[in-house]
Amino acid sequence: MKFGKKLKHQIQESLPGWRDKFLSYNDLKKLVRLISSSPVVLNGNSGKVEAEFVYLLNNEIDKFNAFFMEQEENFIIRNEELQQRIKKVTDTWEPNGSQPSNTIYEDEVGQLRKDIVDFHGEMVLLVNYSNINYTGLAKILKKYDKRTGSLLRLPFIQKILEQPFLTTDLISKLVKECESTINAVFPVEEEEERKREVKEAITVAGEGIFRNTVAALLTMQEIRKGSSTYSQYSLPPINLPVDSDLIQLVQLNPPTAIF
Amino acid sequence: MEARPAIRRSAAKQLSHMGVSGALSSSLPVLQPSSEETYPKLQDTQQVSMERPVAQAGHLTSNSGVVGHIFSSPSRFSTDLHYSSVSPREKQSRNNPFILQSLSSVSMPLPHSSPSGVFQSTASCAYSKENNGSWGTDSLPGFLDFPVNTPVENSQIESSSCSGILAAEDISKQNDWQEWANQLITDDDALTSNWSDLLVDNNVTDLEPKVPKPSLNFSAQQSQVSQQQPASSREIIPAPSREIIPAPSREILPVQSEDIIAVTTPSSANSAAAKPRMRWTPELHEAFVEAVNQLGGSERATPKGVLKLMKVEGLTIYHVKSHLQKYRTARYRPESSEGSLEKKLTPIEEMTSLDLKTGIEITEALRLQMEVQKRLHEQLEIQRNLQLRIEEQGKYLQMMFEKQCKSGGDKLNASSSSLDDPSAQPSVAMQVSPDKSELEPSKVEHGEIEADAVKSKVTSVECAEERIGKQKSPETEAPKDCEPDVCMSSSQPPKRPKIKE
Repeated sequence: MKFGKKLKHQIQESLPGWRDKFLSYNDLKKLVRLISSSPVVLNGNSGKVEAEFVYLLNNEIDKFNAFFMEQEENFIIRNEELQQRIKKVTDTWEPNGSQPSNTIYEDEVGQLRKDIVDFHGEMVLLVNYSNINYTGLAKILKKYDKRTGSLLRLPFIQKILEQPFLTTDLISKLVKECESTINAVFPVEEEEERKREVKEAITVAGEGIFRNTVAALLTMQEIRKGSSTYSQYSLPPINLPVDSDLIQLVQLNPPTAIF
Repeated sequence: MEARPAIRRSAAKQLSHMGVSGALSSSLPVLQPSSEETYPKLQDTQQVSMERPVAQAGHLTSNSGVVGHIFSSPSRFSTDLHYSSVSPREKQSRNNPFILQSLSSVSMPLPHSSPSGVFQSTASCAYSKENNGSWGTDSLPGFLDFPVNTPVENSQIESSSCSGILAAEDISKQNDWQEWANQLITDDDALTSNWSDLLVDNNVTDLEPKVPKPSLNFSAQQSQVSQQQPASSREIIPAPSREIIPAPSREILPVQSEDIIAVTTPSSANSAAAKPRMRWTPELHEAFVEAVNQLGGSERATPKGVLKLMKVEGLTIYHVKSHLQKYRTARYRPESSEGSLEKKLTPIEEMTSLDLKTGIEITEALRLQMEVQKRLHEQLEIQRNLQLRIEEQGKYLQMMFEKQCKSGGDKLNASSSSLDDPSAQPSVAMQVSPDKSELEPSKVEHGEIEADAVKSKVTSVECAEERIGKQKSPETEAPKDCEPDVCMSSSQPPKRPKIKE
C-alpha cells in the first residue's frame, strides 16, 4: 500500500473530531507533481514557487500545532481529573474507605478503568497523529526535492522537529504515568487466566479508540514494511515480535462492539 | 457565523485548487502589483471612513509599510515572502494571508522555546515585530481614542490592522483574517458596506467571531514574536476599550459573562475560533486548579479571579477563560455520573448476576486495549528516536559533504580518517546499528553491497553516504572488509538498494 492510502485508512479509522486535522498528503503530492511540471520551475525560477509551497506546508504545520496543543491541554485537564477520581473512589467506596460499598465501588471502578484506558489510548493516538503527519511531511519534502532538485528537505525537517506538535515528551510522560496508575485500579490476575480471556475479550472490545489503535499499529507496520526508494532516511521495518500474537489475534477476530 | 464554514470549505478547496487549476505559476506574478495597489487604497479607505483619519492612516500605512517590509525580509524558513495563494475570497490581496502565514511560521518556534512553557502572550496588538519598531503602544491608544460613535470601526480597524501584521492560526482563521484584510485593504465600497453592516446590531454576532479571531491570533503571534511591554499595554487596553465599544461588547458580554479585557481579545462564544497558542503544562494546570479551588470551585471561579491568583506572567484572561471552560466540562460529566449513582444502582443490581462474567470480559477487553496501546506507544517512541537520529545523521553528512566540497582533494583523506575516528558520526552509526540488530532483520538482500559500520576506509564522501545509507538497512551482519565494497558502492552511487522480502 502506498503511504497515501495508508494515511487515508488511518484517517478513516481515527476519531471523528480528528479526521480533518491530518496532513493533506494527497493534495500536497499533486501539488508537487504540478510544481515539477510548471514552466516556472523548469525555467529555473523556483524561488517563488518554493515560497508558496513552504507557505502551504506551514499552514499544515500550524494546523497540527493548534490541534496538538489543544488536545494536550485537554489531556492535562483530564489527567488531573482522573487522578482525583481515582483518589475519591478508593477513599470512599473501597472496602477500607469511608463508605465502603462493593457495588458502588465496582461500578465506579469499572467506569474509571474504562476512562483511564480510553484516556491512555487517546494520548497514544495523539502521538501517533504527530508521527504520521511527520512521516507524511518528510515524504512530501522528499518528493519535492526529488522533483525540483532543490534542497528544501533537510533544513525544513530540522525546523519541523522543533515544532510543538512533534515535541511529544509531555504526552509520553503522561502516558507512562497513566500506565502506572492503571495498576492501582486493575485487579491482578493470573497470566494463564488472562490468555484464556483474551479471545473472548476481543469480541467485547468496543470501537473507537481500540480500533483506532489497532489500525495505527498495523498501519505503522505496513508503512515500514519496505519501500522501493530505500535510502539513508528510511526507517527499518517495524519489529513487533511479541505483538505478532496480539495483532494476529486481532486481525483474525476483528473487534465488534457489543455496546 | 456562516462565513466561517464557507471559508473553511473554500479553504479546503484551496489545496485542491492549487493542484488542479495550475494556479501556481500563474498566480505568483499577481502578487507584486496587487500589493502595491492595495497600500494606497488602505490609506484612502481609512481617510474616508474614519473619524481620525490622519493618525490612523499614518499608523495603518506604517502597518502596510511593515507588511511591505516583511515581504522583503527573509523568514526563518528561508522563504521569499512574495508568495501568493488562492484566496478563498477571490482576487483580492492574496498577499495578506501569506504574510500572516509566514509570520506565524516565523514566530512558531518561539513559544516552544519560551521558558516554563508559558505562552508569553498579551491582549494587545501593540507589540512590534522584531524588525519593525514603529508599532508601539502609541498606535493603540490612538485607536482607542476613537469617538464613541465609531465603535465598530474602531474594533474592526484595530483588529484588522493588528492582524495585518500577524498571522491567523489555521486556515479557517486565516481566511477570516483575510476577509478582514480584504475588506480593509480593497475598495472603499466593500469596506464601507461592511462597516455599515456591522453597525447594524443584528450583525453583531457576525462581528463577534470576526473580531476576536484575527485579533486574537494577532495578539498571540505578536506576543510570540516580541515579549516586550506586556503589562503596560495590557493595562492600556482594558479601561478604554470597555467604554469605547459599547454596542458590540454588550452583545458579546452575555455570551461569555466575563470581562472583556481588550478590543483585540474580546470573549468569543466559539472557543475554537481564536485561540492564542498557549502551551499548558501540568504545573501550570496545578496552579490553575489551586486558584480555582481557592475561589470556591470551578463553577464559582471567574477567569479574572483565577488570573489574578495565578500570578503567571504572560497569561491572559483569554487563556484562563478557555481553560476554565474546558475544566468545567471535564468535571461536569464525572460529577453528574456520581450524582446519579443511586439511581444507577438498581439497574446495576439487576445486572449483577450476568455481570460477573461480563465484568471479567470487560476487564479483559480493557486489558487488551491497554496492551495494544502500550505497544503502539512503544513503537512510536522507537520510531521517533530513529527518525531523529536519521535526521541528525543526515545533517552531519550534509556538513561533511559541504566541507568536502569546499576543500577538494586534500580533505578527502582527512575526512576519511575522521570517519575512522570514534567521533560523532561513527558513534551515531554505532548506535544506529545496535538498534537495527535489536530489530528483526528483514530479509533484505543487498547482494554485493555490504553495509559497513565504522572502520570503513572511504575514499569519497559519496561513498560514505552510500555506506551509511546501506548501513541503515536492517543489516545485522558483521562488518566486512570494505575494500571491495568501496569499489562496488562507488560504482553504483545512483542506485538504491531494493528491499526484497
